This record gives sequence, structure tokens and C-alpha cells, in this order.
Amino acid sequence: MILGLLKIIVFPGFMFLTVYGLLFEYLDRKVHARLQNRIGPPWYQPLADFLKLIGKETIIPADANKTIFQILPVVSLAAVAAAFVYVPVFGKASIASFQGDLIVVLYFLSIPTMCLFLAGWYSRSVYSTLGSVRTLTQMFAYEVPLFMALLAPALIAKTWSVTGMTAFYAEHPLYILINIPAFIVALIAGQGKLERVPFDTPEAETEIVAGPLVEYSGRLLALFRIAVDCELVMVASLVSAIFLPFMTGHAILDFILYLVKTVAVLLFLALMRSVMARLRVEQMVHFCWKYLTPIAILQIIVNLLVRGGLGL
Amino acid sequence: MSEYNRVVIPIGPQHPSLKEPGCFTVTLDGEKIVDVVVGIGYNHRGLEKACESRNYIQIIYLLERICGICSHTHTTAFCQGVEELAGISIPRRAAYIRVIVAEIERLHSHLLWLGVAAHEIGFDTMFMYAWRDREAVLDILAAVGGNRVNYGINTIGGVRRDIDDSLRQDILKMTDALQEQVKYYQELALTETTLAARLAGIGKLSGEDALKYGAVGPVIRASGIDFDIRAVDPYAVYAEIPFKVITDTHADVFGRTVVRILELLESIEIIRFCIKNMPDGDIVTKAPRRIPAGEVISRTEAPRGEDIHYIRSNGTERPDRVRVRAPSEANWHAMRHMLLGQYLADAPITIAAIDPCFSCTDRAIVINSGRETELMDWPRLRQYSIDWYKKRGIDVASIKIPERRMYF
Amino acid sequence: MQTEEAIIHKLAEKFSILKDKLYVQRSKRIISEFLTREEFEQVLPYLRDKMGFYRASHVVGTDEGEDLGFIYLLTNDEGIILALKEKAPKSDPKISSLSGDYPSLEFHERELVSLFGAEVEGLPAGPSYPLPDGWPEGNYPLRKEWNPEYFDQNTMTYNPPIDDKEKEGGKK
Repeated sequence: MILGLLKIIVFPGFMFLTVYGLLFEYLDRKVHARLQNRIGPPWYQPLADFLKLIGKETIIPADANKTIFQILPVVSLAAVAAAFVYVPVFGKASIASFQGDLIVVLYFLSIPTMCLFLAGWYSRSVYSTLGSVRTLTQMFAYEVPLFMALLAPALIAKTWSVTGMTAFYAEHPLYILINIPAFIVALIAGQGKLERVPFDTPEAETEIVAGPLVEYSGRLLALFRIAVDCELVMVASLVSAIFLPFMTGHAILDFILYLVKTVAVLLFLALMRSVMARLRVEQMVHFCWKYLTPIAILQIIVNLLVRGGLGL
Repeated sequence: MSEYNRVVIPIGPQHPSLKEPGCFTVTLDGEKIVDVVVGIGYNHRGLEKACESRNYIQIIYLLERICGICSHTHTTAFCQGVEELAGISIPRRAAYIRVIVAEIERLHSHLLWLGVAAHEIGFDTMFMYAWRDREAVLDILAAVGGNRVNYGINTIGGVRRDIDDSLRQDILKMTDALQEQVKYYQELALTETTLAARLAGIGKLSGEDALKYGAVGPVIRASGIDFDIRAVDPYAVYAEIPFKVITDTHADVFGRTVVRILELLESIEIIRFCIKNMPDGDIVTKAPRRIPAGEVISRTEAPRGEDIHYIRSNGTERPDRVRVRAPSEANWHAMRHMLLGQYLADAPITIAAIDPCFSCTDRAIVINSGRETELMDWPRLRQYSIDWYKKRGIDVASIKIPERRMYF
Repeated sequence: MQTEEAIIHKLAEKFSILKDKLYVQRSKRIISEFLTREEFEQVLPYLRDKMGFYRASHVVGTDEGEDLGFIYLLTNDEGIILALKEKAPKSDPKISSLSGDYPSLEFHERELVSLFGAEVEGLPAGPSYPLPDGWPEGNYPLRKEWNPEYFDQNTMTYNPPIDDKEKEGGKK
């Protein structure tokens, strides 16, 4: 019981998630900066930013709904932390798992986006309202391909649990090759989920300042920031758990392998962010429905055929 | 859609996409722009009135500070206007130096624009690259005039600083390195898909409309009209320099980008030509303090377009009227036309595509009233800033800056 | 290609009022003398529609003592600037707006209103430019009699000393 609680709170649960999230932000910023020929921040910069924001005054707009305004960042962080419980980090199994936890994880991952939408909506500022609308529009675009891309491998693995899928693919590593298109779709849609360039229209600073978060400050903003960092870790972990399930069977080695895999995913995401311009929201929707969704559907069909053909 | 679905969004006066104050009140229907009110004038600080109470030499320095970017072009326009009034002609070497500095300034301005435009569409990597390359241009300008902006080159009757042989070599070295970079940007702009997706078809302005709204500079040239003061009404030594007037037929933001990038290459060629053919001789002739009465309309091609100065002298040491029609001022008029019917997401880049200079538009200068002014030299200014931070607990001097890599 | 002389010749032929009122200052520059509002409005449509001066670069306001001067810088395709001048008395500084035919003049005309106190008839309603909100009425900074030293930025009022006012009155 106590061990389980420790696992959830300290390692590999919440504490690890936040620390790793800050590290991820540093890596992301550093790589981004180096690609842009800049020096980039020192390693403690994300933590320093976080601490500084914590110490700042929190201003709540007079028109905003106070309770919701304050609850949203916490809910958003909690949802990401809850989702992280179901992803294997240390060893083969996640902290908790059950048949169908993949669906739960995906829904937990939708909560931060919804929180962002509500945060903008309840801020009662034109910029944030517009940002919220864009957040929601964008969500309808990437959510479908992302879900389908993550569910397709489950068809072959014949399990709806993340741990189960990891275990299956660790045993049959060659099957991952079939899932490569889904992997690419998941990475691109994941970039949309994380609202990073080229899909950062909701918070496009040159158009609508900071989008939904424009009215947030101080502690609440710090919580949102850390939630976004954790979401980044979460997406990287989920993608690497499903599409890069290489295992050695040794817990420590597996953990190191986990770090390597997630960092590799992060580097790809950072590269994508550095070499592209921001798309317009309607271009983003077009792209997701025109290219990503058909590829994901095709992947599902292929996987069904493979499953039938191999008699799995 | 009914009126109720409309949202009014103010872009400015303080907004991350605007580097200077201006206010665009945008009415949106969803993401589409249905109305725009262009509000400018936040930078008006009464420069023309100030000109009337200063003598001609003082005005040069005043006009140099109209704009931080195209400062040289304003003084060129003013000086050549006054020279025309006084009936003096400047030494050829001075004219060449004016052209060289003007073209380096164009490099600086266009690179700056390239960075800003990339930033507006969220392409920060390009922004950083363009501004890194711009640093080398600024270093050259600092070597020529002693300052990164406001070089203080022009004076009535010529120029104040010579360009010696070692400096000429430095300039050539800079242009060689820059040319490669600009060619890379050219390739990037033409092939990178997200960039093209964001730039093509945005801010359409047909040639007819461009003429009607009085657009100038790269904006009108991107609409297919070869209007360049350097060719139409050559000043300094432009009549002797072989150069192409760059035009493009896209008539949108993409076209304006292409025009500016190609102009960078053309400017490099002009600089090379001037450096090669620069004659020896004096750099300044004597000019009278009192300028004979008369009026003159002086034009130059600033990086942003046609710059018109109207100067009227009444025979004293001070002008009767100085009016500066900066290029940005001419480009504002088409803005509403270009923005209507577009997506909000394209508004920043459309605004940026005319390379607006709000200070130029409003012709501004800061005059500290009621405070003693004093001159600080460079080391003292630096020391002052270090002390300022030290007082607040930050020791700037202890921060180690890695030795600057010369990219060129 | 029309030469500057040919343009002047053609105009003088067409409008007797323009005779000896136009001269070529140098290449690409034609300067006119001050015209009255009626003369100006008579000449302008012809210049715009028949002579190719359909671009307006600018309008410069000037203070001509008793009158306000307005110098319209019109450009044709060859880049020739024709500075057509119009004059209106300060007591009744009315001119008509050209922003319908030359949209590029709208901001410049607003400026004439704010800085010179001209009454531009037909100028569409819009924000004042470039003076700030709350600028006191009746203060036209670019008129010669307006002295910035007497303007108090904090209270936004113009307080010339009494005797100075008299002096100025005396001058008039």
C-alpha cells in the first residue's frame, strides 16, 4: 500500500514526472536554440522560471469566474499526472494497469486541452476567447488521427492496455515495422496536441498574444506551464511505449532505454518546431483531415488484415 | 452572419507583433476580417515644427533620428535638397560613399525585415538566422560611421567620413559571405512549403490598386510596377551604376519577400561596383550657412520605398518649412484594402509586409524637456549600465560571454 | 514620353489661368504658383484623367502668412512630380478633399486638419491624426504663430504671455 503510494507520488510517478518535465523543457529549449544558432538557456532555467512565477502576484480578471479560473491549472496538471500512472517507465509494467487503460490515458490527455479551452473562455478577454476557439478547432483536427494512430497497434497486440501492448511488442519487435505510418501520424498529431510550431495557432503570440493563457499570471500560470511540460513528457512516453517498445528485461537498463527513447522523440519534436512556420488554423485542419486521418484509417485496415492473415 | 457573431480585436498599440505603436482595430467574423480601422500617430512628436527653429546643420542630425533603420536615406534626401537649393555639387567620392552607405543600409533593413516577417508567421529559426547575418552588416556600419544606427555620414556638401582601403576590404568580405546566405534564403523562400503556404496569396494588391493607393518601394514593385527612384529620378551616382530594378508579379506577401531577397543580391552588386569604381578626391565641399531662398522636392529610394523631402528656404540660416514624406507613410493607405477578407492569422504578416516604420510615418524625435542633458562617451555609457545593474544586485561584468563567433 | 516642357505647354494651352504659372525647376520637377480653390478644382480633373497624374504622393501644408498653402505632389508614370499649389485664407481655410480620387491623400488631409486647421470638405469621418486625443481645439502647431514654448504638456493648454499675444496681434 505504502509502496504503491510512494510509486505514484515519488517515482516513477508525479515527482519524477515534474522533474523530467522541467528537464524536457530545458532540452527542448536548448536544442531549439542551438538549431537557431543561439546559445540557449542554462539547465536550471525552466526551474528558475517556475520558481519565479510561483513568487509572482496572481491576478484574476474581474470578469472571470474565480473558482473555475483557479481550479483549471490544477485539474490540467492532475489529469496529466493521472495518465502517467498507466505508462511503463521503470521496468516492464506501469504503476497500475488494466484492460482498456489506453482509452483512459487518451481521455486523460484530452483534459488539459479542454482545461486550456475553458481557461481561455472564462478569462473573458478577446484574445483568450479567440485562442480558446482555436484550441477547440485544432482539437477536433488532431484528436481523431491521434486516437486512431494509437489504437491501430492495439489491434495487433490484441490488448487495450499500454503495459500489455509494450509487453507484446517487446516480444515481437518486428511487428513495429507495420506500425511505422501510425508512428509518424502520432508524432505529428502529438505536436498538434502539444500546440507547438507548426500547430501553435492557439497561442500564436504575433496574432493573439498568448491565446487562452493571456490573462494567467503568477502561480496559476506556473501550474499551467508545468502541466504543459508534463504533457510533453507524457506524449513522448506514450509514443515510445507503443511504437518503440524495445526492452532488455533488466529494470535499470530499461529505464535508461526509456530515457533514451523519450529524448529521441523530443528531439524529433524540437526539430519539427525549429524548421517550420506556423500554419493557419484552417490549414492545420485541412492537413489533419486530408493527410493524417486517411493514413491512420489505412493503418487500421492494414492492421486488421495483418491480424486476420496471421491468424493472431 | 449576423452582427452578433462579430468580435472586435485591437491589434495594438501594444502588441507582440508590432515593434512600434500602431493600432489596428480589426472586426472579425469568425477568423475572417470584415473591417479594419488603421490608427497611427502614436509616435508624433513634432519634428517638422522643431526643424523650423534649427539651422540646417542641426536639422541633419534631427532628421537622422526620424527612423532608426533608414536614417541615412533621410539625411541624404535632405542634404541633396539643400545642396540643390544652394547650387553646390558634391565631390564624386562623396556621392559614391553616400551610395555605398545607402546600400549597406538597405541590406540591414531588408535583413531585419526578413527576420521580422519570419517571426510574424512563427518561423523563429529564420528570424534568428536573418538577424545573425544582419549583425555582420551592422558591424560594417559601425565601422563606417561609428554607430550601429544613425551613422552621421551625411553633411551638406558631402560626407563626413571617408571609406579607406582596409574598410573597403572588410565590406567586400562581408558582402561575399552575405551573398551566400542570401542565396540560401532565396532558395528557402522558394521551396519551403509551410513558408509558401503562409505567404502566397496573402495581402493581395494588384498593380492598379498599388498605383491608386500610392504604394511605394518593394510593395509596388511586387505588384509588377518597376517604380524605383534610383532608376526613375537618379540621384547621387545611381545614373552611372548598372543595376536591375527588381519586380515580381505575385502581388502578395510572397512577392514582396522575393523582391526584398533579390534586392539584397542587387544591393550587394551595387556595393561591389561602387567600391571598385570609387574615385579619389575630397569628400566634402564648403557649403554656405545661409541657404538661398527657394523650394525643392528631393527624392531618394529608401529601403522601404520612395522618400520625399519638401524643403523651403527663406534665405536665412533656418528653413521655412521641411516636410518629410517617409515611405511607410505612403504604404499605409493600401493597408485596409489588403487586410479586408483575410484571416486574422494573416494580419500580422500583411502589416509587416509593407515593412512599416511607425516612427517614419509620424516623424518623431524624443526631446527631453526640463532635464539637463549631457554627453556620454561609449566607455562611460557602458560603465553606467554596468553600475545600474550592480545597484540592483546583478553583476553583468561577471557574465562570461563566449567569444563571438564571426560567421563571416 | 512627355517632356516637362510639353506638359506645361499643353496645360497652358488648355487653361488660360495656368499661363506663366507653371515652370520647370529641373528635370522631373514642375512647380506651379499658388492657385485659388476654383482654379485648382478646374485644373485637377484634367491633370488626373487626361495628363496621367493619377498618383498623389503627398500634400504639404504651408503657412503663407495670411493664407494657408497646400502643395499637392502629383506624380505620373514617368516619375515627373508636378507640385500643384492651392491657397486658402486662414480666416476661411476651406479646401475640398481629394481622398475620393486619390485615396493616398486621406491621412495627409487629416494632418492638414490637425496641424494647420484646414477645413477639408468631404473628408470621411475618422480618427484625428497625428495629434493625441485631448489636444486642445484651436491649436494648430504648424502655423507660424504657434510657439511650442507656450504649450504646457501636463495640462494640455496653450498659454502665450499677454504682451506676446498683443505683439502677434500687432503684427497682423
